[in-house]
Amino acid sequence: MAQTPLVEMIGIEKHFGGVRAVDHVSLDLYPGEVVGVLGHNGAGKSCLMRILAGAMLPSAGEIRVNGTPVTFCDPNEARKAGIETIYQTLALADHLDAPSNLFLGRELKTRFGNLDDTRMLEESRKVLARLNPNFKNLSDPVSSLSGGQRQVIAIARAIYFDTKILIMDEPTAALGPSETAMVADLIRQLQAEGIGILLVSHDMHDVFELCNRVVVMNKGSLVGTHDIDAVTKDDVLSLIVKGELPADWSARNLEAAQ
Amino acid sequence: MSQALKPAAGRGPASFASLMPDAGKIHRLSALLTLLLLIVGFALASQSFFSVNNGLTILLQTSVIGLLGIGMTMVIITGGIDLSVGSVLALAGVGTAMAVKAGVPVGLAMGLGVVIGAACGAVNGLVVTKAKIPPFVATLGMMLMARGLALQLTGAAPISQLGEAFGRLGNGALFRVVELQPNGFPKVIFPGIPYPAILLLVVAAGAAYMLHRRQIGRHIYATGSNEEAARLSGVRVDRTKLYAYVMSGALAGLAGNVLMSRLVTAQPSEGVMYELDAIATAVIGGASLSGGVGTVSGTMIGAFIIGILRNGLNMAGVSAFIQQIVIGAVVIGAVWIDQMRNRR
Repeated sequence: MAQTPLVEMIGIEKHFGGVRAVDHVSLDLYPGEVVGVLGHNGAGKSCLMRILAGAMLPSAGEIRVNGTPVTFCDPNEARKAGIETIYQTLALADHLDAPSNLFLGRELKTRFGNLDDTRMLEESRKVLARLNPNFKNLSDPVSSLSGGQRQVIAIARAIYFDTKILIMDEPTAALGPSETAMVADLIRQLQAEGIGILLVSHDMHDVFELCNRVVVMNKGSLVGTHDIDAVTKDDVLSLIVKGELPADWSARNLEAAQ
Repeated sequence: MSQALKPAAGRGPASFASLMPDAGKIHRLSALLTLLLLIVGFALASQSFFSVNNGLTILLQTSVIGLLGIGMTMVIITGGIDLSVGSVLALAGVGTAMAVKAGVPVGLAMGLGVVIGAACGAVNGLVVTKAKIPPFVATLGMMLMARGLALQLTGAAPISQLGEAFGRLGNGALFRVVELQPNGFPKVIFPGIPYPAILLLVVAAGAAYMLHRRQIGRHIYATGSNEEAARLSGVRVDRTKLYAYVMSGALAGLAGNVLMSRLVTAQPSEGVMYELDAIATAVIGGASLSGGVGTVSGTMIGAFIIGILRNGLNMAGVSAFIQQIVIGAVVIGAVWIDQMRNRR
């Protein structure tokens, strides 16, 4: 491909004592691409995502954004490079309201350096309305909101700013069917805008519906990167469980090619 | 008293914007009601309780615990605790007095006291954030070290004869009207507003502004609410905590100045158990020891509840031992009521 990838992760490693949580993993992501990151719990995918999000330092390896090598010492630096993350835990401060959470760490300020709560409320109303027109409880602490509403805040926070790369860790795990459909629509919309998305998911249906490519991790290693058209759900499951494709995969693919 | 409640009313329209009062507001409202009931009750019980002079005495007595309570509130909102404030108060007061004895001008010496307090707070903050020692243990250590240092520096003896200027902060008052009587004795027509009360008001307003209108305040709440979320959102959690401990230490230093100035003597053994009063103050005011919750206005109400309880019980001739029992019960009661409300 002639295009420069948005992100290249090259030979990333992460060790915890003797444990290799991420073992020499390379991954790239192009503009407007949705890449599914799959694997068992503990396969290292969350760890890999945290490294890209700046929440964890890799033991070795290199990250390039738009071809330029970068080092992220904290989440702020990753965000400045346009990498936003929606964590599975949502990472919301329960006692604060939606605007405070949306702008947490990037608060809008008035000329005198005071918090501009009025403007933050207005902006939040706009971005939240785009995701969920029924969102009204903007001044309630987020602990009193439903799982879906909390998820909407976490998503809003990730797309409000100048996002180029979006990491979504199980974005639909806590959602009902209609909200899941909303997230799927949103992913397609962002994709059309040229944002690159890394989608960590256990939901095969979502993955096959939304992703262009899948990467599969097993015990910290990358065991496969495939275009979504080249594999079946069974192939991917085999990669996740056994760490290898079924024996007949290459034969089948040859047939298909002919 | 109406003075110190001003920050509650003056916290801006934002806090009263929503029609439904949240749990925090209900808590403060019930604490305020308790405070009023106490005032009415003690006024009925004792003639001299409800007088200008006694009101000013209460202001004076509450100012020290109020200053400590404000610093404690910031630390508690971050999810921490500062057990060292009583000892830091003593060390800072002793430091100020020693500087005065060495010939440093009083104003500068008091500034030094505040710096000593802030330095103790900085050590607390660094031990908590860099060495990852739990706040309870870190500040317990500082409590012992600061007290030990204060006693060592003075040989456990009070420093007295500090001069009139040293006593002005604690004993002076704004708008005091004194008339010289024909017999040569001065007659106090209006005792004035004590400087410590004014100081408390200014600090409370400043702290409320900082917590609600500034980014650092928002980050203090976020850190206590969900530290990991705050970190992932780009909040510099360590720096936020450090800030809270430094503020707590500096305010303990300021409170030390006020207290020692009032006594015109630096007592290295002063301020024992004050940390517990400060914690009680914050908790009665609605702060949660699990972090993320607390307000300066609530803490001010808490401080006056404790101050008025002490004063009123004294006036009613109740022994100091019974007072401790009552205040202990009030602390538990306040937290219990809060939990009942949150469970609902």
